[in-house]
Amino acid sequence: MTAVREALVLPGLLLTVVLLGGMRLTDHLAFVPPPLFALVLAVLLLGTLIRSGALAPERLVHAARPPLAAANGGLALVALFLASAQVFHLVTPDSGLPRLAFDVFFLVLLLNTWASAPDRTRLLRSLMVIFGSAFVFKFILLAAISDPSGGRLHRMMQVLLDGVTLGTLTQQPFHPALGYLAFLTLALFLAAVALLPPSVRRRGRLEIPPGELLAEPVMGEIAEGERQH
Amino acid sequence: MTKASVTRTFTAVARIRAEASADTFTSGPQYIGSATRPEAAPAKIPRMSERTVRIGGLAGAIAYAALIGWLYLQQPQTFAQVTGGLTSAVGAYRIDDRAFEEGLRFFRNDQFVEARMAFERADPAVRDPVTQFYIAYSYYRQGWGRMYSDDELYALGLQAVDRALALAPGGRVVVEDENLGMKSAEELKAELEAGLRREMSDFNPARLLRERK
Repeated sequence: MTAVREALVLPGLLLTVVLLGGMRLTDHLAFVPPPLFALVLAVLLLGTLIRSGALAPERLVHAARPPLAAANGGLALVALFLASAQVFHLVTPDSGLPRLAFDVFFLVLLLNTWASAPDRTRLLRSLMVIFGSAFVFKFILLAAISDPSGGRLHRMMQVLLDGVTLGTLTQQPFHPALGYLAFLTLALFLAAVALLPPSVRRRGRLEIPPGELLAEPVMGEIAEGERQH
Repeated sequence: MTKASVTRTFTAVARIRAEASADTFTSGPQYIGSATRPEAAPAKIPRMSERTVRIGGLAGAIAYAALIGWLYLQQPQTFAQVTGGLTSAVGAYRIDDRAFEEGLRFFRNDQFVEARMAFERADPAVRDPVTQFYIAYSYYRQGWGRMYSDDELYALGLQAVDRALALAPGGRVVVEDENLGMKSAEELKAELEAGLRREMSDFNPARLLRERK
């Protein structure tokens, strides 16, 4: 991984996700920190990224790295954790039954992905589908259901739905710009995840990604593999 | 790992080692060099330039993270408050003196709504303790009544005086204005809190004789 990507691009993208992920637009501006459950999901996501080889933390922080490079890598890792928490917070509905359902959905999905240990490409595709569908559900479907500016029929349906679901389904209406902001945030996050340094070891095989810097321990393993053959 | 893939990998490693030994810029105690595809030219980043990128990136990321932390802690509600807070942090924030003078004029004429609008225009970022003190005072005077006080206005006044106290260095605001019965934020806060409390002295007929401060 180049110094530019590690020191500038990754922290820049991930910190922007941290900033935008908690920004809420109503009649005023608000910055909402992630709830505790989002932190748990972020830990699970980091674990899944490492397990699938999409993230090699030793290529960011390692005793063999120079202190400055390790500091850059450490900062990128911390930013990745916070950005993950904020992204889960962003796509989870704010209240009621949908919030509970989404929390359970994310937890089960991440545990399932952890257990199945997909490779990097499949995990990235899976993340795109998970966050994409959550975005559609929260910012398009739920927003349409909760929109107070509809016609009389729309409001009647809304009252009916509120009655059936005991008011647990509809959400506070969003500012129109929030959906666009959320889309941008998700795109930045997925781009940052795709730019993370992947593992060079995958299921007993050593792979050298083209154009990548390799640390001494990895080179030692390659030499060891050569001796065994 | 098949024999062929190991051989191919080893060839790549040998090439990397050769490049690493030839490259005086990227060689270091722990780095070997850049692993590249055979057809690609090796990326040579001068050591100083990479170091500069890393230091610049680290400093920039820390500053950016500090800004984000500040935003989450301070919770500015408008973009004016964001920019005002940042300029205030570097000591460059100034209120609009003309709007402040207008606000004072309205305030002294008991035009409290107009006064607050002018004060808010003078201090859009809500960073000046004296302006916030006057806003709180305008809520007090508008809400004051000989028989009873307006709880809603007093509550807003209490919020404003709390803001003034939080913004003031050392948490103390004293305004030397002859028109004011209470010159410190502490007195104003105590008066507003007393107005919001329900107690037996509220039914004392002598209250009718009290004066607005």
